[in-house]
Amino acid sequence: MSWRPVKAVVGREMSKLFRQRARLISAMVRPMIWLLVIGSGVGSMLQGPEQDGYLSFLVPGILAMTLLFAALLSALTLVYDKEFGVMRMMMIAPIAHYWIVLSKLIAATLTAMVQACLLLVLLLVLGLVSFKIALSLLLPAVLTAICCAAIGGLIAVYSKSIDNFAVIMNFFIFPVFFLSGALYPVSQLPTYLHYIVLINPFSYGVDLLKHAVPNVPTDFSVMTDIAILLGFSAVAIAIACWQFSRESVHEPLFHRATKGN
Amino acid sequence: MNSDSAISTRGLTKQYGQTTVVNNLDLDIQAGQFYGLLGPNGAGKSTTIHMLTTMTAATSGEAWIAGQKIAADPVAIRRTVGLVFQDSALDRTMSIDENLQFAAAMYNLSPHDANKRIDELLAVFGLQDKRKRKLLTLSGGQRRAVDIARGVLHKPKVLFLDEPTIGLDLPNRRAIWRFVEQLRREEGMTVFLTTHYLEEAAACDHVDFIQQGQLQLGGSPTALTQQLATYILEISTPNPEQISSQLSPLFGQPIREDEDLSFKIAANDVDFYALQQSLGDAVSAMQWRKPNLNDVYLWTFCSPQQGNVI
Repeated sequence: MSWRPVKAVVGREMSKLFRQRARLISAMVRPMIWLLVIGSGVGSMLQGPEQDGYLSFLVPGILAMTLLFAALLSALTLVYDKEFGVMRMMMIAPIAHYWIVLSKLIAATLTAMVQACLLLVLLLVLGLVSFKIALSLLLPAVLTAICCAAIGGLIAVYSKSIDNFAVIMNFFIFPVFFLSGALYPVSQLPTYLHYIVLINPFSYGVDLLKHAVPNVPTDFSVMTDIAILLGFSAVAIAIACWQFSRESVHEPLFHRATKGN
Repeated sequence: MNSDSAISTRGLTKQYGQTTVVNNLDLDIQAGQFYGLLGPNGAGKSTTIHMLTTMTAATSGEAWIAGQKIAADPVAIRRTVGLVFQDSALDRTMSIDENLQFAAAMYNLSPHDANKRIDELLAVFGLQDKRKRKLLTLSGGQRRAVDIARGVLHKPKVLFLDEPTIGLDLPNRRAIWRFVEQLRREEGMTVFLTTHYLEEAAACDHVDFIQQGQLQLGGSPTALTQQLATYILEISTPNPEQISSQLSPLFGQPIREDEDLSFKIAANDVDFYALQQSLGDAVSAMQWRKPNLNDVYLWTFCSPQQGNVI
């Protein structure tokens, strides 16, 4: 197995990322709105020192949000390419089909990291994080990005079309985000929500990011976070590869072409 | 299987649920041949190509490409074959160059080799000065040409063309065939073609007609047309029933399409002028000609025994 096809798939995604400036800018606007509007709004309901504390509390949360959206939308290209035919170019290539999934997920992780780094630079400029904190957020961000890409890959291989994916965005991305402890401490949630947070792998990414910011309360230990992030990612990626290599995934793509036979 | 075969299949079958799309297919296609698989919509042509190129797995049966068993190593098979899909496999938002560079990288060609090959192919297709153009700005024929160039970047031994000229106008279709012919001549590849335009299949060394997943009839286009009839007699008439019953004792049942009748005539000594005289005003038009593959197709799939109305 040569790395050239993998590099080509990843390179294609990267060149698209930098070509679509509007997408990159909107990816920066979303977390800033959350941070400044929600952060200040909710923060104003809190008292004195808690007010500043809430902004610091939100930094890992919105960084995690950026990673989640970027990685999931990038993994969506697995469905998008299938709809528009480029997937055929990859499927007929002399590489095992699971490499297509792996390449796409590498690209999704990198895309998420590019956006996360941009956001961190923005936060640095605004004085919301120190250089040291920004640096210590990078490694947790990589693990979270891999986990988000894995979630995206899993959803992508089980969705048949983009319409379907749009539905999944609303039914998966928002619940995954809101039920993760990104916006509020997990410990204060009602019991049944608490359990949902516990089975949400993204929660552990958010928690790991919180560990990198001083004075922000965390819910799990660093080791638990890392073990669950890595374990979940490995299993999810393996399932995505297996499902993609099975025939049924490709049927819609070719079956539609076959109808005209 | 035959060891000289570029493509061999034995009992190749594909089922989707209860529907059998390809049924027990046995093929032997010699290396270097230009082969055509012809048949109506939904006959199983594309599915056959998808099985032979590892895009979909067969339900049962076996197949070999250049002596390699397909199921044993799909990746090696994909290295050996080129496939031009019925629908484009290109990214419309990227340029010709970006598309072909991407495809070349997927075939593990070094940038140097890829550039050389892309130059070579774009010259064949007359697109060398459009290399940086976005696909969106090209005509349908030019896009198809780029699709074919993509399919042969890695110099496959066997090239599969699934309806390569569908939706193109006549000049573009002719141009595409000139390119395919040139590629065949220069690179000696085996070509497996499916097409709706049967006159295009006349250039094939061998064609097979397929219906409901089963081979019906095969041979060289010349042999098939000769076997079908000496002449095809076409008559337009306001009274098709009357003419049909008048002439069928002589020539057999015709194929009828509204007011047009088509008879196949085996004898080579029919006096058409005398026939025309005897029919007189009962016909509005009458012509006789040598049969072609379209006639073979019509008589195979719309023969009088099958309902004789198109």
